[in-house]
Amino acid sequence: MKALCWQGKNRVRIEQVDDPRIINDRDAIVRVTRTAICGSDLHLFDGYIPTMEPGDILGHEFMGEVVEVGPEVRKLKRGDRVVMPFTIACGQCYYCKNDLWSACDNTNPNAWMMEKMYGFSGSALFGYSHMMGGYAGGQAQFARVPFADVGPIKVPEGLPDDQVLFLSDIFPTGFMAAENCDIKPGQVVAVWGCGPVGQFAIRSAFLLGAERVIAIDRYAERLKMARAGGAEIINYQEVDDLVEELKWVTGGRGPDAVIDAVGLEAHGTGIMAFYDYSRQRMKVSFDRPMVLRQAIQACAKGGVVSIPGVYGGILDKLPFGSAFGKGLIFKMGQTHVHRYRQTLMEKIQAGAIDPSFVITHRLSLDDAPEAYFTFRDKQDQCIKVVLDPWQEARAA
Amino acid sequence: MTITTSIPRKTQDEPSPNLESILMLASGAALAGLGIWRRGWTGAALAGGGACLLYGAATGFRRPYQGRVRVAVTIVKDSEEIYSFLSNPGNWAPFLHAIELENRGAGRLSLRFGNPPGIDFESQIEITDHKPADYVAWASDHAMLSHRGVMRFKKAPGDRGTEVSVALEYNAPAGPVAHALAALVGWHPEQVVRESLRHLKQLLEAGEIPTTEGQPVGARGVKGAALRVLHREPPREAIPAPLRATGD
Repeated sequence: MKALCWQGKNRVRIEQVDDPRIINDRDAIVRVTRTAICGSDLHLFDGYIPTMEPGDILGHEFMGEVVEVGPEVRKLKRGDRVVMPFTIACGQCYYCKNDLWSACDNTNPNAWMMEKMYGFSGSALFGYSHMMGGYAGGQAQFARVPFADVGPIKVPEGLPDDQVLFLSDIFPTGFMAAENCDIKPGQVVAVWGCGPVGQFAIRSAFLLGAERVIAIDRYAERLKMARAGGAEIINYQEVDDLVEELKWVTGGRGPDAVIDAVGLEAHGTGIMAFYDYSRQRMKVSFDRPMVLRQAIQACAKGGVVSIPGVYGGILDKLPFGSAFGKGLIFKMGQTHVHRYRQTLMEKIQAGAIDPSFVITHRLSLDDAPEAYFTFRDKQDQCIKVVLDPWQEARAA
Repeated sequence: MTITTSIPRKTQDEPSPNLESILMLASGAALAGLGIWRRGWTGAALAGGGACLLYGAATGFRRPYQGRVRVAVTIVKDSEEIYSFLSNPGNWAPFLHAIELENRGAGRLSLRFGNPPGIDFESQIEITDHKPADYVAWASDHAMLSHRGVMRFKKAPGDRGTEVSVALEYNAPAGPVAHALAALVGWHPEQVVRESLRHLKQLLEAGEIPTTEGQPVGARGVKGAALRVLHREPPREAIPAPLRATGD
């Protein structure tokens, strides 16, 4: 089959690899019908996530049709259309049973690596470094899905791929980010980063009853999409001081909750941004926590800092005194995708949201290596790329 | 409960591979050679370091290593179930990491260490005390790894199942260098215990031990193979027998 393989920083390519096979009894094999490039894939592409190996198949947002099931699989059968949560959960451990699926104890074959870095290991992820399990990802024509009775979400008749694909990651991730804000009527939420997760966070915040959402980015097309979702917008490059600007537009209170939908590769302006870039360049740090600093500083007293953006290591110069002084609440982590499957599928079915609004590029898998650059460099007004692994490459 | 065992102190050394000396000899020679080849201050420093290692190896410098391992996991099963699973020697092989245990009857086990083979050895283990669903204690006297340990089962608070812990004291003839190398490939006693307990938990809770062995991969290249060793994965993925015709 064809698969998109990581070969190093800025190097991904389509390779012919073996088809996946059932390895454990609870596995299923799916024929991938749609997959997408996630913003967090760009962290791999840019070489900021450790424990990648050349030859790893990327992709953690994918859906498809079940073509084979292992002997212990009970709930899936050949022909079922399913969306895979990007987190792999066993469904049996204490964390799975307590709805904390991305903290699953039992799915990461390389748990020791994560324990070394983070103290404990969370669940494994598809196509996201060996520390996170080393599972082959879904930017391929077929994929092996472990614990197939636990994760895959069956797609009801009549819903097209593009509407349900994002249940794999970005929609639940944006939704959990908003839910973590514990929004009460009349509250104002600020969202840093209007990439796909930010877009879903904005819409989810409104679904959960936010009075106002303020979206922050620097790209016109992303801000435009945020505005279409009902948000007020700020281009941070056009204001002198973002924290002051946020105070100004919130009557001096600051946003009641702040969402960092950017993570470790934040851009920014000024001396701190330069400082972060230098540290990262010198490999002293994996992370450029520019947005997190601003978000903590800007958040209203007693507010919530919700972090769906990915961080990898030890962060520098975080204004923790500010966080303590204001009594902030921090909520973060890999999305408990399984927790939101049903709720969000119902919202899509009911027409409350059509997640395909975020797609700007529909390409074939063969176009993916080029699409990584397009997406990373925000060329061609790119916001979200979906790939069809079976479509012929676009005529050049 | 106490560990009722007394390991007789060894009176004479059995011939055992002095891994550390060999390593020190090899790395010392390599460093000294590199230093001489490079010249300059860096070269001098390297050569000096190499010479120290060579001296250490040549004078037979070695320190017996005493270590302690303590690992606990919580398994969402009651202690009777875990204990009865462990009581069946047929269940051992899948979850044990880097070792093989064989039941020799009458409270005696034989432990084989070294998988993949390298420094492999076999030793006898004696169950010194046990109480079903509560604890098992054992001891072993062997030149390569004399040790005594206890595995306990304790009810976890709430509905979390059972806290399963292993505490181990061991003496190994190889020194810190050999220990560091063993840790690199996952053969350190601490890793053997931790990974075995992790697999036991996975097997009992999730029904299987997760793996990626045999999944498709792109071209690994030399760098990929080297990284796999660093990540304690086999340098080349095993390719299982095809279960279905490959689609195209």
